[in-house]
Amino acid sequence: MKTLLETADLRKTYRVGKIEIEALRGVDLRIREGELVAIMGPSGCGKSTLMHVLGAMTKPTAGKVFIDGQEISGMSDNELTGIRRDRIGFVFQKFNLLPTLTARGNIEIARYIHGQGASNRHDEHLREILQLLMIEAKMERRPSELSGGEQQRVAIARAVANKPAILLADEPTGSLDSKNSEVVLNMFRELNRRFKQTIILVTHNPELVAFTDRLIEMRDGVIVSDNDSLSWETESEMAQPARSV
Amino acid sequence: MNKQMIIAGLKARPVRTTVSILAVALEVILILVVVGLTSGISDETGRRTEGVGADILLQPPNSSLFLALSNTTMPITLRDKLRELPGIKAVSPVQTLVNSSAGLEIIYGIEPDTFNAVSNGFIWHKGRLFNTPDEVVVDDIYAKSKGVTVGDNVELVNHKFKVSGVVEHGKGARLFVSLKTAQEMTGQTGKASLFFIKLNDSDRVQTTIAEIKRLLEGYGVIPLREYAKLMMSNNMPALDAFISSVVFIALCIGVLVIFLSMYTTITERTREIGILRSLGASKKFIVTLIFQESAAVCCAGALIGIGSSFVIAKTITAVFPTLTILITADWIGKAAVFAVLSGIIGSLYPSLKAAKQDPVEALAYE
Repeated sequence: MKTLLETADLRKTYRVGKIEIEALRGVDLRIREGELVAIMGPSGCGKSTLMHVLGAMTKPTAGKVFIDGQEISGMSDNELTGIRRDRIGFVFQKFNLLPTLTARGNIEIARYIHGQGASNRHDEHLREILQLLMIEAKMERRPSELSGGEQQRVAIARAVANKPAILLADEPTGSLDSKNSEVVLNMFRELNRRFKQTIILVTHNPELVAFTDRLIEMRDGVIVSDNDSLSWETESEMAQPARSV
Repeated sequence: MNKQMIIAGLKARPVRTTVSILAVALEVILILVVVGLTSGISDETGRRTEGVGADILLQPPNSSLFLALSNTTMPITLRDKLRELPGIKAVSPVQTLVNSSAGLEIIYGIEPDTFNAVSNGFIWHKGRLFNTPDEVVVDDIYAKSKGVTVGDNVELVNHKFKVSGVVEHGKGARLFVSLKTAQEMTGQTGKASLFFIKLNDSDRVQTTIAEIKRLLEGYGVIPLREYAKLMMSNNMPALDAFISSVVFIALCIGVLVIFLSMYTTITERTREIGILRSLGASKKFIVTLIFQESAAVCCAGALIGIGSSFVIAKTITAVFPTLTILITADWIGKAAVFAVLSGIIGSLYPSLKAAKQDPVEALAYE
């Protein structure tokens, strides 16, 4: 499996007033294509910051980030916007659906921004996604007319509608009850298994780990453990994309 | 999809959208009605003066085009000198006075014989010419607006007059008294404010003007056929300045309202903007979206404003028949352009601010 996402000595520092907060203190990470990974840690360990940097929402203070071999750490704002548009899908804890659009509108705006026309191939993919997520009957409803679980499933559909290379989910079950959480997590697993979608779940909830193949633990801005079953030495025998710096 | 987003965005805040549209409509109404009123009054005055039927208008030196605003007069004996010029058919002296007790009304003091010779006479609706110094002839529009008819009394320039006749409008003023009465009321015995001159051959206007100018150096000599054109704002710097001021104030109102509306919009929709940015929407996309929303508001406001202007104009002229509001296609176009321009200017800062927002911060905004 090829490396899809890689970081080298990733650092991110925030300034809050006069105080500097080092949210990431040298993170080295490799994610393969098709993996379903959980990044877990207590509040304030830097996992959300890591997700924002991996998702090209913010630039690192130091270090490098590679997506499919392309370094994004030094990119301009416009270039990062393009990376988000073309390669990344986001799912947030608070769903973050546009309240003035229907479920269908929320998905279509993502496709519109991506520049998708109404081609059959993409519609077919979308139909499969909607079936999998069990939201076909809810497409004409606004977010305020949907339950939390339904909203999150619409958010997932929106995130994967353009077939992103990576799906990033920040506490995707944080606002859901246990029943809906299980439904959503099962859907992530199904997306990963059926469509080989690379998914990174960021969470502080250990129960999510059971739904993933790999667990990366963070504490105080660094990775403290990674139960990756495949060694990276084995990978050197597999095709690796050339890094473009 | 953009259209859906714009409509959804506007419908999400119906009160604010409505107020913004109405404010832009007000901007358009202000421009069209005020400009229409000033243009209408000056245009209508010009047409009525042209409607006397004379070929040339003679005024004293340093006179205003607004006939009633001139205090200067000429000796009435000039009439005899003018009659001696070749090609002159008739010369009619007029002494103007202004009644300001209820609006601004110009009164012509005329010699009926010479005035008829120049104008081919009044078209009578009712009654007859004045016979006594305290009688007045009014036009039909004045009669309708004041609700007066033959035999009624009217007060003009602190004098009581009886209406002796009602004539068709369009012959200079709306009120006519005898020249002697007007001279006595203004203390200008033996004087006239202006002369209407009729020629035997209207094609000789320019030649005759040249002769009059040679005879009376420094006097205002105007071909009456061009009088209405001269009354247009672009030939009158003061009126032009007034119109420009009104347009500028209206534009400022539009800009400020749109600015406030869009600024509060982007503040309330910070998170939405963050969501769009997280989906990969570029800064240009965000700016375009805000511009399009404000353009939609301004277009709707312009349409309502234009429609309302016609309604308001009709209402004003129904209540005040002596007023004319001239809403031209030219100014409708300009008002619409100003409305959209105010939208673009007003939404410029908010749209750029929205685009610059950090997506992470915007998503965290409560």
